[in-house]
Amino acid sequence: MNMTRIAIVGGGTGGTILANALSRKLGEEIREGLVEVVVFERSDSHVYQPGNIDIAFRGADPAGFRRPPSNLLRRGVKLVQKAVSSIDLDNRALKYNEGEKMDYDYLVAATGSVATPELVPGLAEASLNFHKTQEDSRKIWEALSRFKRGRIVILTALPHKCPPSPVEAVFLVDELMRKRGVRRDVEIVYASPYTRAYPAHGIADVVEPEMENRDITLRSLFNIDYVDPSARKVFSLEGEELQYDLLIAIPPHRGADVVINSGIGGEEGWIPTDRHTLNIKGYDDAYAIGDATDIPISKSGVVAHLEAITAAESIASQIEGTGRVYLYNGRINCPLEMGGKRAVFVSGTYTKQPERQPPSLTKYFMKRLFNRLYWTMLRGSLEPIFNAYLGSPYEVKHRG
Amino acid sequence: MRHVVDARGSFCPGPITELIKTYRKAQVGDEIELLATDPAAKSDVAAWAAKSGNEIVEMKEEQGYIRMIIRVSSKSK
Ligand SMILES: Cc1cc2nc3c(=O)[nH]c(=O)nc-3n(C[C@H](O)[C@H](O)[C@H](O)COP(=O)(O)OP(=O)(O)OC[C@H]3O[C@@H](n4cnc5c(N)ncnc54)[C@H](O)[C@@H]3O)c2cc1C
Repeated sequence: MNMTRIAIVGGGTGGTILANALSRKLGEEIREGLVEVVVFERSDSHVYQPGNIDIAFRGADPAGFRRPPSNLLRRGVKLVQKAVSSIDLDNRALKYNEGEKMDYDYLVAATGSVATPELVPGLAEASLNFHKTQEDSRKIWEALSRFKRGRIVILTALPHKCPPSPVEAVFLVDELMRKRGVRRDVEIVYASPYTRAYPAHGIADVVEPEMENRDITLRSLFNIDYVDPSARKVFSLEGEELQYDLLIAIPPHRGADVVINSGIGGEEGWIPTDRHTLNIKGYDDAYAIGDATDIPISKSGVVAHLEAITAAESIASQIEGTGRVYLYNGRINCPLEMGGKRAVFVSGTYTKQPERQPPSLTKYFMKRLFNRLYWTMLRGSLEPIFNAYLGSPYEVKHRG
Repeated sequence: MRHVVDARGSFCPGPITELIKTYRKAQVGDEIELLATDPAAKSDVAAWAAKSGNEIVEMKEEQGYIRMIIRVSSKSK
């Protein structure tokens, strides 16, 4: 009998959870050599990206937030620690390791998104960011530790991963400057691309009064156009300008190179994906999950997680021929830390918008706890708890 | 050229993100047709258009969603 191969490109949050879920669902088939699950991951360390916030704004040690991918995959999953250079969806084949070829039966693109300051003239030179690497995040901590007086501008460019992260940065910069006793000489400005501080109304209603209380200036509808580093000025598409002494930017993101080079996601590399089935449009044997898709919801670990669970069910069902199709419901649930040990959770689905809620200590501790549970979560052993807490991420339908 | 942007089902980060993504690559004279279910879309897009000097050509309630057509009229490059 022929072996069925599932190739997963990208072993970040989504790819790892998906591979482990498949290894549980199809354990027997894998042991009998009927199914093979292969993960391609080019990096030798898996970074827990929310840890960048602790590195940049709390001076945490980066080493605590990364692990080798091989330690995170369950037995039965094959790891190829190489970059995939092209994906050929029509011929079900990919190339990796500079020219080696592999055929597949099912493909999942879990290649994530890339913060790319170079997309905005002047931005790479002028700004620091915590959306690329741990080293970049560390530079923010060093700059903030030295900063004594002047204006810190925190600026968000669209699109980017983790919608709460800019506002978290704003509150934590405020907290840090207060702790260091220099807050009176430091002006903090948040330049938001939206009409308010946070895209979802209910959450903005909680965030904005808090910013006002802490003397943080909000500049709304400020979409960055370019930066003049010599004049230390940022200019917006809406025709405004903003002076800074220290610029912390959430750069615009794009999809992975392999997606762009394979002609899948246009110039910006967002993979055209059905928001419910998670199939790459036009291919029922290929899926995209997480930050890599063009689905207009939050690019977050929780979405990558819930999409991975949904896609794993669909692929297992296709292989086993059950006729069931799993449809993602757009569930999101992202923590937003507000400083002072308080947090809210931004929760919703494709049909339910995030609601207003008071910030709380409990939610803050839930976020902190999650930092530690992340590695266990990747293996899938916490799935029953997530399911009970969040509810099912999909609806089940029968084909035909 | 008409760009169709389907931001239905998105509340966070919502329609403005999809609009700006498309606006960055659009040319003066292009139209962006934006579909959204976020009830805040109307006022948000109107505020953005007013500030950025772009023109809203149409804003219409369809069954269960809002359709907006924005003409790109104020881009410097
Ligand atoms: C500062 C910050 C804070 C955040 N906070 C939160 C939070 O509180 N909650 C939350 O839910 N989310 C949060 N996120 C977002 C979350 O980390 C991402 O959305 C999530 O990791 C996306 O998962 P993914 O699997 O789609 O992509 P990733 O986890 O980024 O994984 C993509 C993987 O693909 C690999 N890859 C790419 N191209 C290739 C190739 N050609 N060949 C082989 N491998 C390849 C990459 O090396 C990478 O390992 C935060 C992000 C940041 C930066």
